[in-house]
Amino acid sequence: MIAKNPDSQNSVHFKIKRQDGPDKPAYWQTFDVPYKPNLNVISCLQAIAANPTTSEGQETTVVVWDCNCLEEVCGACTMVINGTARQSCSALIDQMREQGFGSRENPIVLEPMTKFPVVRDLWVDRSRMFKQLLRLKAWVPIDGTHKLGAGPKESPEMQDERYQLSRCMTCGCCLEACPQYLKDNHFIGANAIGQTLYFNEHETGKNLQGERLDVMMEPGGISDCGNAQNCVKVCPKEVPLTLAIAKVGRQVTVHAIKKFFMGK
Amino acid sequence: MSEHATTQSPKTSQGFLDKHHFLLRRLHSLSGIVPVGLFVCMHLFTNFQLAPALVGKANTFQHEVEFIHSLPALVIIEVSLWLGIGFHAALGLVYTFTGKANVKCYSYMDNVRYTLQRVTGILALIFIFLHIATLRWRWNLGGWFTPFFVEGPDGTPLVAATTAHALQGSALVLTLYIVGVFSVVYHWANGLWTAAITWGLTVSVQAQKRWGYVCLALGLVLAIFSAGAIGGALRYPISEKETAAYKASVEHYKQTGEIFHGGGHTPATIETTSPDQ
Ligand code: HEM
Ligand code: SF4
Ligand code: SF4
Ligand code: FES
Repeated sequence: MIAKNPDSQNSVHFKIKRQDGPDKPAYWQTFDVPYKPNLNVISCLQAIAANPTTSEGQETTVVVWDCNCLEEVCGACTMVINGTARQSCSALIDQMREQGFGSRENPIVLEPMTKFPVVRDLWVDRSRMFKQLLRLKAWVPIDGTHKLGAGPKESPEMQDERYQLSRCMTCGCCLEACPQYLKDNHFIGANAIGQTLYFNEHETGKNLQGERLDVMMEPGGISDCGNAQNCVKVCPKEVPLTLAIAKVGRQVTVHAIKKFFMGK
Repeated sequence: MSEHATTQSPKTSQGFLDKHHFLLRRLHSLSGIVPVGLFVCMHLFTNFQLAPALVGKANTFQHEVEFIHSLPALVIIEVSLWLGIGFHAALGLVYTFTGKANVKCYSYMDNVRYTLQRVTGILALIFIFLHIATLRWRWNLGGWFTPFFVEGPDGTPLVAATTAHALQGSALVLTLYIVGVFSVVYHWANGLWTAAITWGLTVSVQAQKRWGYVCLALGLVLAIFSAGAIGGALRYPISEKETAAYKASVEHYKQTGEIFHGGGHTPATIETTSPDQ
């Protein structure tokens, strides 16, 4: 448990941005967690939850966060750590100490993502992302319950490309780092463009390509991307987002020309 | 989960920008490349004709400018360019201020590039405005009065001398030209690179890299042209005769609002929007 006057050498120091509710003001608190090998940010948050006392020895409320898989596949635990968006379950304390973070002078700074509404403390509401996927019909349409026979064949190259796109876990890092995606604008964001390509390139998913591209042409669609390419660099799953942006850009170009000449 | 995360449905936003969102975005991209960008390319090439002055040689700048002034329907070309730049700049400002630069947290090269695209756009806007206002519309801005004359009342060619006079006269003007011209060059070269992604021409990382080298080369060539032109204007020796002809032109212009167009034409009257006639 947390000692009252922890030895700075043997503690990991945190500075955490807190917020008691969606419309409450934010404030900062610092915490010291006893050092052990192989800690990660989540296990430190668990230690703080077990003994919610600030560095000054003041009792406080438990710091709230969200998490699920604890192995960087669900995306729920994403937060801004030392200024960059990443998963807290795979943010290893030993690594950060090597980089010089975690001391009293240079604490590990935890903040909620800024592009999503805060529910409480480090827990944000990512539902805008899920709603966008619904809007995009990010699924493969299959009619009825009857047997449809074997599915269409897919080339190994396409399989490879689509596998990379399939790794997206809707974590929101790409949106947090994007200069064009803001809390109060409409931009659909890089991950949704990735999923558009993922389903447009599926042999059956193609059936809804036109509808997806229509969404991509609406306000907040793909043309709001400014090609800063931060998204692809922060994506923890190495989803080829800039490839998706260019390919969907091409699909939209063709779609728009077709609509101009042949559409209603 | 709380409800306020709902993104507004696009149907509820009625603004003009939203209604024609896609078309406007693509026209913005196109207008940067074709009318505006291509013109800038030609303009920078023309200016490069001043460069021989760098090594003390005669230049063909006069000839080039007279050629441009002799083009038929110049007014139409000019007005389309103003409209093109105006459209691109207005939307560019909207796009600049609806994004939120974050190079401090995410200091990747590409992010710096993105931010520079916006910064150079604004610098270009300021520069192009002052450039056109002082040379073309012949405004007198706080003593910065460098109306552009093709030739003097006696037929002395004045194109190079006017430009030289503008740049040699003040360190401020010179700085503005250097910053402005290089901003435009960067903005166009980088714009060509992003436009290829926007339209879906360059798709793979490798293709984007290759096209990046092409854009870089193009930008370098334009930068060399621009440096040559500015250097040429700085080194250009303005003769007594030119100074006299320039002064006479200014006087003539102040009194009559006329300039001499060159090519042996009679003085032509140019509509001016000068606020301090
Ligand atoms: C006069 C003020 C100008 C402003 C404020 C401005 C602003 C902008 C902005 C903000 C963008 C990025 C748009 C986006 O990625 O969504 C852009 C793109 C571009 N601009 Fe400008 N610009 C200006 C002048 C120019 C000029 C003079 C040229 C030509 C030399 C030019 C050529 C381009 C090109 C080619 C693009 C790329 C479009 C794309 O990525 O699809 N711009 N401009
Ligand atoms: S694309 Fe990458 S960064 Fe974006 S939500 Fe998916 S996994 Fe996260
Ligand atoms: S390329 Fe840049 S602007 Fe486009 S989605 Fe990615 S981070 Fe955002
Ligand atoms: S808890 Fe699932 S990614 Fe961290």
